[in-house]
Amino acid sequence: MIPASHYLILSALLFCIGLLGILIRRNILSLLLSIELMLNAANLNLVAGAAMHGQLDGQLMAFFVMVIAAAEVTIGLAIAVLLFRRGGSLDTHDIQQLKG
Amino acid sequence: MNLLLLTPEWVVLGVLALLTFFELFQFKDEAFYKKVRNLLQLGGLLAAFAALLCIEPKAGTAFGGTYISDPFAAFFKFIFLLAAGAVIQMSREFFDQRLERSHEFFLVLWVVLAGFFLLVSANDFLVLFLALETVTLGFYILNAYLKNDPVVIEAGMKYFILGSLASAVLIFGISLIYAAAGSTLFPDVRASFVNDPQNPLLVTGALMVLAGLFFKAGVFPFQLWIPDVYEGAPTPAAAFLSVASKAAGFAAILRVLYTVFLPLEDKRALLFGTLALLTLLYGALGALRQTQIKRLFGYSSISHAGYLLIGVAAGREVGVAAILFYLSAYALTTLTIFLVIAIAGRELGSDRIDAYRGLGRRSPFLAGIFFLALLSSAGVPPLAGFTGKFLVLLAAVRQGLTPLALVGSLAVAISLYYYLAIVRVMYFAPPSREEPITLCPASKGMLLALAAALVAAGFFQGPLLGAAEHAAQYLF
Repeated sequence: MIPASHYLILSALLFCIGLLGILIRRNILSLLLSIELMLNAANLNLVAGAAMHGQLDGQLMAFFVMVIAAAEVTIGLAIAVLLFRRGGSLDTHDIQQLKG
Repeated sequence: MNLLLLTPEWVVLGVLALLTFFELFQFKDEAFYKKVRNLLQLGGLLAAFAALLCIEPKAGTAFGGTYISDPFAAFFKFIFLLAAGAVIQMSREFFDQRLERSHEFFLVLWVVLAGFFLLVSANDFLVLFLALETVTLGFYILNAYLKNDPVVIEAGMKYFILGSLASAVLIFGISLIYAAAGSTLFPDVRASFVNDPQNPLLVTGALMVLAGLFFKAGVFPFQLWIPDVYEGAPTPAAAFLSVASKAAGFAAILRVLYTVFLPLEDKRALLFGTLALLTLLYGALGALRQTQIKRLFGYSSISHAGYLLIGVAAGREVGVAAILFYLSAYALTTLTIFLVIAIAGRELGSDRIDAYRGLGRRSPFLAGIFFLALLSSAGVPPLAGFTGKFLVLLAAVRQGLTPLALVGSLAVAISLYYYLAIVRVMYFAPPSREEPITLCPASKGMLLALAAALVAAGFFQGPLLGAAEHAAQYLF
């Protein structure tokens, strides 16, 4: 049996990979993927927590998080499509009309 | 289970359902549709207001303790209702003479309002997260609403990326808390945290939850999105974000700080004092060289968040009551300012500060109200903004945070500089065009009412301060 703390370490790693992705990737689709990775790290924690405490609550919460993640990415892709139609690029370095 | 406690929420959801229902008919007559929509929204706001008045004195929980209704939550719901009313009028002004369909804008506005109501009443981390996401997903749409304008889309995208990053941090923090405490209910988590204040999972989780909420409130390391988004987003969306999102952020921060994260209490003054200092200076100094009016108010809202953080650092009943008063005054002031910006933006065709040249001659009424709101925002007596700042700084001095109060006073002086620069342009620069601006009666009435409230809350602080102190007690 794998001890539950291992899951927490794995999810922390996943979260850090996602965060790193947000910081260094420039393509908006990669940013969306990185956010998805961070949300799934939270899901892993919730499910591991449910197993640690012998409850089902955490697994239920993971479903809520999945629904939220799906809704979020739907809006995100819609905005990305609009951005691509306007500027022809999904590179974050090309998005810089607003600054100062 | 006491479902009647949720009456204000039911009213808001009912209006939302009716608005969606009317959408199905696809009225040929646009003017008739707008009339129905306006009446429905006005009725909904009044009904929600009445429901809140009835619910306000009762304190209780519903849905197995995950929802809490108390005067503290009700105080914020009044602020949200005020903001929604002003933002609806602002949207009517904003979409007037624009080609875009505005139907969905109003629908999403009501979704966001329902989210705000739930957010301040959350007594469970999962409910907190879901309410916050309802709000944030709505704002993703509102901020990117003008789909043909590249600047608006850019602002929407920036808000989306940073907003979903903040949500991810928040839910990861919640998942850590759940893994350690085995529950997400606020009282259960508090019990675990008090038993084991050094638990690394709980401490990390608490800090990550606070970080996620700091994004909403626009607190220092998480404030980078504010100027860009305020500048780009449609004016009503920026106003709603500025008033309601900040209020909700602080409501959630106060709620988790005082009902859940009690072991953080001895570090509170240091943590929030430092953040207050940095937020205040970032906002005040950043605003100095702005040429775009909405961007300027983005920085100004960051510096307002700094004052609110001084209140959090001061803490206890005094600090919380000061924060509640400050937020009400801030809501009145900011809604006035953004209503003027929405009207002026349409009439002048630009949101640059230069474009306000000679506004004092073209519309003395609009310029006069704007002047009054700017003075209140800077904190000039005897307006509401002054009383708010005074209470916050007084609370800081009483809790032995005098240096923080001094920096707060210094920031008032800096802010006077950039607010008065706008006044100079309005009154003393020669106008580019001469024809007077006429206002619609609804906007005129709303501006007058907001300005009267600003003056009244400055002269007679008693009732509002009493309500704030009463609401603050329920947190402890």
